[in-house]
Amino acid sequence: MKKRALITGITGQDGSYLAELLLEKDYEVHGVVRRASSPSTSRIDQLLQTSLPPEKQVVLHFGDMADASGLRTIVDDVQPDEVYNLAAQSHVKVSFDQPEYTADVVGVGTLRLLEAVRAFQNRSGKKTRFYQASSSEMFGAAKPPQSILTPFHPRSPYAVAKVQAFWHTVNHRESYGMFNCNGILFNHEGPRRGETFVTRKITRAVGRIKMGLQDKLALGNLDALRDWGHARDFVEAMWMMLQHDSPGDYVVATGEAHTVREFANHAFAAVDLNYEDFVVVDPRFFRPAEVDFLLGDITDIKSRLGWQPRTTFEGLVQEMVAADLEIAQREKLFLEANPGSALKGSVESL
Amino acid sequence: MPNALIFGVTGQDGAYLARLLLEKGYVVSGAHRRGRETQTAGLCELGIADALQLLSVDYHNENEMTSLIESVAPDEIYNLAAQSSVAQSFQIPVETSLINGVFVARLLEIVRQKAPQARFFQASSSEIFGAVDNSLLCESTPLRPRNPYGTSKAYAHHLVRNYREAFGLHASCGILFTHESPLRGPQFVSRKVTLAVARIKNGLQDELVLGNTDVSRAWGFAGEYVEAMWRMLQQTHATDFVIATEQVRTLRTWVALAFETVGLEAEKYLRTDAQLLRPNDSFVMRPDSSKAQQMLGWKAQLKAEELVKMMVEADMRRVVESRCEIQ
Repeated sequence: MKKRALITGITGQDGSYLAELLLEKDYEVHGVVRRASSPSTSRIDQLLQTSLPPEKQVVLHFGDMADASGLRTIVDDVQPDEVYNLAAQSHVKVSFDQPEYTADVVGVGTLRLLEAVRAFQNRSGKKTRFYQASSSEMFGAAKPPQSILTPFHPRSPYAVAKVQAFWHTVNHRESYGMFNCNGILFNHEGPRRGETFVTRKITRAVGRIKMGLQDKLALGNLDALRDWGHARDFVEAMWMMLQHDSPGDYVVATGEAHTVREFANHAFAAVDLNYEDFVVVDPRFFRPAEVDFLLGDITDIKSRLGWQPRTTFEGLVQEMVAADLEIAQREKLFLEANPGSALKGSVESL
Repeated sequence: MPNALIFGVTGQDGAYLARLLLEKGYVVSGAHRRGRETQTAGLCELGIADALQLLSVDYHNENEMTSLIESVAPDEIYNLAAQSSVAQSFQIPVETSLINGVFVARLLEIVRQKAPQARFFQASSSEIFGAVDNSLLCESTPLRPRNPYGTSKAYAHHLVRNYREAFGLHASCGILFTHESPLRGPQFVSRKVTLAVARIKNGLQDELVLGNTDVSRAWGFAGEYVEAMWRMLQQTHATDFVIATEQVRTLRTWVALAFETVGLEAEKYLRTDAQLLRPNDSFVMRPDSSKAQQMLGWKAQLKAEELVKMMVEADMRRVVESRCEIQ
């Protein structure tokens, strides 16, 4: 029998990489998407082609982390062996503008899903393994390097909600014997990263500036230190956690920290430009409470799961710049072919 | 006159806090959840039901909440509203998390926008510490909640600190350890015991059935804890405090004391039932309240022995009165 996986947040960066990984491993992959008049499936369109053989396609279900009965129905229908909860309002700055929504989908939403899985297990007797996407933002102001033993000091409504989801995941494991794992993921990026996140915002701008489509790049705190890995590597860690003999919580990171400034420097240098000529600091992008320094300690995941990152910092930046340069080239061709038209631009205000 | 707004005014702490603030000359408004019968028994028992403005509100309606805060324009806000039972939080985890967690996000956001000068008190709980070794629990102890109630309270605790650090709100959490009184709800174990003792003494009940009697708690008196809440909001700078008595007793001791009050032996009536055990439990809780002692000049005075006596006597009175009514 093929294993069945259910992914919430399948249309996001991590969801799309994870869906590809699980299809390669011969899983039947199901995903939850929110209904909208325009589909937001661009990252998984390659997995939805009806010309593909059925075993290479993902199956989508409409659902929402705010809707407990809908989640319950999906879990009961899919009868998953593994559930990956990647759904979130995942933007830190936005969480300061939408704290209540963030709390509801990130914190309470995880609880709703855990309850749906628990009820399904009770009824069916089947053991479902559960992965929760926890975040290094939960460490916030805690002293680096941060490990699984570091106490949380969350600094945003997003991070606070992720802490709540973390504890619900642990408590359902301890109270009900569920096979639940938290992966505390440090920043993980890639060409599919949303354009409002700083790394992608930088590489997108680099491509457009190189092609003459943009003049400046406005950023917030250039000195923030982050541990940046590749999302493709990190989704493999998620899967490995659920294959282990026993459930547990892990820090997933590279163990190497770089500033936003270094990221920008490398990205501009990749197309022979100097970031200082283009980057302007705009206080609008400062967070109300900053997180200065995140650096993961990965000795634990190396020894327990044998996982380690494959992509280097330089390799990550180069891959993202190369992909965005190609997009910008296509944009330029489009504009030349359609003078006077406007592109669907990136969300520059965020 | 200073103006205070209490969320959860019909609960045990709400009633004692309202009385304290009235005594101090405050104009007191008390919000309680609409949609069920108003539980004013505690306010009546303290004789203050008519002395404050009672406002029924839908806590999950942002519009209504905003109008409430704009119209009251409080100097001090005390958030005591909660689904406050750990045991029930396993039965209704989502509801618990919405009222104890998401509601606080909504409230803080309204305060930030509409009443940023107001001082804000959040009732945190010792349950946010959850699984701890035998060490003392203070304001800097890492949180490790073990049940849906503790997790929702930990969420609110972190969020209040976040609003203080990010926006400079005068917002503080009082990490309240177990606190009891004659107004404690009968589903809580302290009161379950005293009520059972009163009923057994009066021949209305034969036995007292409990789960794990080895749990240790610092049993304090709610009437004193609300004084600490008020003192916290009089501080120049907002910060969090452990509010607790440092006398720790097991539930077994509490039961023994309660039976002694009416001259009965606990062993004859106590039965333990494994069905009443929680899916997982926090066993020992040893608070360190030195920060509150030093900065607030507050220290719990009432001993567990006196507290039990007060509660058993109140329940004896209630049982006798209700029997008279029946006859």
